Amino acid sequence: MAANAVSRRDEDEVCPVCKSSRYLNPDMRFLINPECYHKMCESCVDRIFSSGPANCPVAGCRKTLRKNRFRTQTFEDINVEREVDIRRRVMQILNRREEEFDTKRNYDDFLEQREEIIANLVSRIDVSKTEAQLQKYASENMASIRANQTLEQEEATSFQARINLEQEQARIRRQAARQEYEIERREVQAGREDFLTRLASGTSTDAAAIAREGHKVLLKKSSARRSEEDRIRQKQAALRSEPTRVAGVSSGADTGLVKGLRKIKTPEPEKPYDPFMGYVPEKRDYYSLQESYPSQFLDNYRNNISVLAGGYDLREYYSRTLLEAFAGLSCFVDEEVSQRDAARVSAPVATEGAAIAAGQSGEGSA
Amino acid sequence: MIEDDIYRASSQYRLWSYTESSLQSLRATTNTVASERVRAALRRSREQQSATSSAAGTPQPGSDMDGKNKDEKEIECLTPEEELVLVRYYCEKTLELGETYRPPMPTMARATAIQYLRRFYITNSPMTYHPKSIMACALFVATKTENYYMSLRQFADGIPGETSPEDVIAPEFLLMQGLRFTFDIRHPFRGLEGGVMELQAIADGQGQPAPHLPHETAEDLQQGLLSIAPPPTPSKSMSDRIAVAHGKTRDLLKTAAQMTDAYFLYTPSQIWLSAFLVADRPLAEFLLDVKLGGPVTATIPTPETDENGLLNPLYEIRSKLHRVLTECSALLQSYTPLSSDPVQMKNLKRIAKKLYHCQNPEKVNLKRESAQAPVSQPDSGAVTSESESERLAKKRKLEQEQMARQGNDVFGPDLVQRTKP
Amino acid sequence: MALSPFSSRSPSMTVHSPNTAIRLRATAAQNAASGTAAVAASKPVPHGDRELTEQLNIDVRERYVKDKKVGEGTYAVVFVGHLRDNPSSLVAIKKIKVNAEYKDGLAMDAVREVKYLQELKHPNVIALHDVFSSKDQNLSLVLEFLPGGDLEMLIKDSDIQYGVADIKAWMGMLARGVWWCHENFVLHRDIKPNNLLIAADGEVKLADFGLARSFADPGFRMTSQVITRWYRPLELLYGAPHYSGAVDVWSMGMVFAELLIRVPFVAGNTDLDQVSKICEAFGTPTEDNWPGVSKLPHYIPTDKSQVVPLQGRDFFMRQFPTAGPVGADLLMAMCALDPRKRRTATQCLQHSWWTVDPRPTQNENLPRKSGGTKKMGDDLARRDLDEGLFKSAARQLDFGMK
Repeated sequence: MAANAVSRRDEDEVCPVCKSSRYLNPDMRFLINPECYHKMCESCVDRIFSSGPANCPVAGCRKTLRKNRFRTQTFEDINVEREVDIRRRVMQILNRREEEFDTKRNYDDFLEQREEIIANLVSRIDVSKTEAQLQKYASENMASIRANQTLEQEEATSFQARINLEQEQARIRRQAARQEYEIERREVQAGREDFLTRLASGTSTDAAAIAREGHKVLLKKSSARRSEEDRIRQKQAALRSEPTRVAGVSSGADTGLVKGLRKIKTPEPEKPYDPFMGYVPEKRDYYSLQESYPSQFLDNYRNNISVLAGGYDLREYYSRTLLEAFAGLSCFVDEEVSQRDAARVSAPVATEGAAIAAGQSGEGSA
Repeated sequence: MIEDDIYRASSQYRLWSYTESSLQSLRATTNTVASERVRAALRRSREQQSATSSAAGTPQPGSDMDGKNKDEKEIECLTPEEELVLVRYYCEKTLELGETYRPPMPTMARATAIQYLRRFYITNSPMTYHPKSIMACALFVATKTENYYMSLRQFADGIPGETSPEDVIAPEFLLMQGLRFTFDIRHPFRGLEGGVMELQAIADGQGQPAPHLPHETAEDLQQGLLSIAPPPTPSKSMSDRIAVAHGKTRDLLKTAAQMTDAYFLYTPSQIWLSAFLVADRPLAEFLLDVKLGGPVTATIPTPETDENGLLNPLYEIRSKLHRVLTECSALLQSYTPLSSDPVQMKNLKRIAKKLYHCQNPEKVNLKRESAQAPVSQPDSGAVTSESESERLAKKRKLEQEQMARQGNDVFGPDLVQRTKP
Repeated sequence: MALSPFSSRSPSMTVHSPNTAIRLRATAAQNAASGTAAVAASKPVPHGDRELTEQLNIDVRERYVKDKKVGEGTYAVVFVGHLRDNPSSLVAIKKIKVNAEYKDGLAMDAVREVKYLQELKHPNVIALHDVFSSKDQNLSLVLEFLPGGDLEMLIKDSDIQYGVADIKAWMGMLARGVWWCHENFVLHRDIKPNNLLIAADGEVKLADFGLARSFADPGFRMTSQVITRWYRPLELLYGAPHYSGAVDVWSMGMVFAELLIRVPFVAGNTDLDQVSKICEAFGTPTEDNWPGVSKLPHYIPTDKSQVVPLQGRDFFMRQFPTAGPVGADLLMAMCALDPRKRRTATQCLQHSWWTVDPRPTQNENLPRKSGGTKKMGDDLARRDLDEGLFKSAARQLDFGMK
């Protein structure tokens, strides 16, 4: 369409700068510079700007233009040309993606805001203020802008990538299946050898039992390994196909201009796994638990093998008696209870039932 | 302190700990509500009485109102204090009842039953549910919750006198509801064992310092223990002294701690230490010193501060604890068994007589109530509607009328006669 | 932490009570005015019929709405419900049936479950939000809603694949749940995959405390008829009356093994069969490797020729290759025949397996399955369905004392 638009060559077209006409010079090309959109012929551009930036030769226009920014006009209407340029520039800066927003609504608001900015620039309303906003946003969100640009490019080329990926996965699957088959084959072999050596060494009387056991072990092993490997493979595949959506480079917090962005949690450095999830086992404030305590009464059990054989463990008893000896020692019920009652009175309740219900629900959800 | 937070998670702390004043006013409320309802119930019963009599004889207009006003004045209800005496008496009875079994029930089961009774009567009045009927049930439920399970029949057989298994089990649900379905009672008995074990270890030179006072060695601790003030009664050795204090404390915990409000007002560790203070003050003070640092009385004027200039938190705890343990010791010492005190027994008899006249007639036969419940109250998961309670009231009335007609009065002697002087 | 309701001297308390009183007086006045006693007596007594505790109970009950039945057993019916004022807050309501055959009041299962769940609050123990009674004197337990099914379901479902990192995550949650019980001196005594329920977020929760009890004091006997057979340790099969938290650790070990191989590891048909299968798998207990074992009440001596030596580390590594050498070591420590040589729950959590690679899978990435609500319903309602005889025996007989 762009080519067509200008293809309709106007025989009478005249360069506004050098006044040469197409009639005399059929190869003449007109260029514009998005600084001012004043049209001039290619030879004028070469002549005026080849030695560096210079002022626009059109009377009354003082814009400084550079040669490298001259280009052919796409649209016949220079106003459309300009609007398209503005739009492209704004959209390159305000290039937030839908998935970066908390809600669809917030994304829509963003789109609307972007249109407004474009409209302002096109119709020259609040230009300096709007430009300042854009610049500020651009400098503050450099990383996210770049990341999203990259994403867009990637998306453009993703189709081919997807095809490649699928082929790669198929290859991995084939290879894994081959490996697995190989491992299993070797294990069967090893199992047989083991079976034979055990039979030969004669540690057990029942050959059939050994055979059965060997077979069982093998089955268990292979089924366990298979599911384990399947999972690893799936995870690998998932990892590969996961879009490299690292748009999270952005600060996440609302930028001054764009609202409603999803709060992006910068992935915390993984802490080592704590099997107790924050509790410190056996930590006490009033006592240090001893391995044993003197007690004539307990001696009856300490030395009673039929009590001990069942696993009865006096240490469990020590730990309980010691805890109960001191648990709540400095819970001062009168103080604490009146405090929590005061807290409850502040919340209006209709009946004592409701008060109790409130107390219980707190407990339930605690 | 970690141990304290562990206790704070218990239902005993969450649901069954009170200040003295909150406990008192809660009981007062229960008493007021129950009194109103006893009066209303007696009035209904009396009205129904006159209804049946008027159906049989000649109606006398006007006489109803006079009779009612007269009656209402005559019904004298128990006071909260009287209710408390009554409950205490049945707590003592629970202890005895546990003793009658062969072998006697473990202390823990009996103590649990007593605490169930005490908890139940915070929101229920003896005028509504007689403690005699609740007591056996509380002990039976305690056998279930304290792993001393026996069959209901076996249990009922063990009760002196004529008590059927149905009598025992009838109020079970009511009781559990009153307990708000919390069955776990934190007793001070095991804690006492732990404390004594620690003391014995120190006496044997195997003691370990408290985590917050790590500089003490086993020898320091042992020396400290040997140099404390002599016991109230002389003893041969430190081990003997500990054993004597142990025994005395245990007795206090089995009795005074059960019969007073100690469980509601204090934590199990405070209770056993208070009892231990009563049994052998220097020994108990020594243990506190080991756990929380130096004697508090001497250091109050010059509290130790840490490097930040803050009051050592252990000293703060120690001084609060001093007050709380003193209070709790006084509470435990204030207890004398009712049965051994003629004055108290006389008072009790008076209360029992009074209760006879203000027992809620509609709640006397629990067995009947629980037996009919599934039939008369289908479970719809919804609220009891006004119309349903109306229906119930009607049903109850019909039954009462029928009984009266049959001359089979399950409520005992005629109420009108009973209330006349 | 929650607040004690009764301790409140809030105005609400005193406001309500006179209210009742006023209403009663109003009824009385009306009766007096009506003149005919017969009419007065049949007047409804609005709330006069409710004790304070009854009212409390009704208030609790009214906070929940039952939606639909999701499971039924001989012992209980389970509903999914929600808070009346918040339809999105789901709960499971387990209604315990009045057992006509059981004349001794509330069944021990229910007593135990309520007693212990009221005290144990932990992310890996099913939460008991409330308890209330219905009008027909049935008990309803309001429990945490766990729609993720249970571990048994995941183990059995061949469409679900999981790896050692997932097993580690599940075992970690199980071990923490058991550890918490033991920290609070409670023995669970029925650990098995279908008592390990899964929350919507993937968290594993220990459920069914119907056989739980607190640690016995020295000298007090306990019943050995606990724990479902395949997960029951040898000391219980030998009838030991004095035992410890080690019994739960054995069950945990059996669950671990089952997660690894996806079939119950030692599945005996009878108690005797279970004993011989355990001995076959792990070795024969002797006075040497387990001092005192022959003194246990139901100890069965093994013929000298039948004695299988105790299995060593290589056995576990061979049998459970997926666990890796460190995992196999932990499993071995959970499956020590002599309960005194078994690791405690605390020691299990202190094992190095948790911190070596692979790291336990995050909850949100754990394999899961739909249809868990029904499974939860069945799990909570179960008890006495499988192995009916054994379970009733455990419930009715010998609760330790005697």
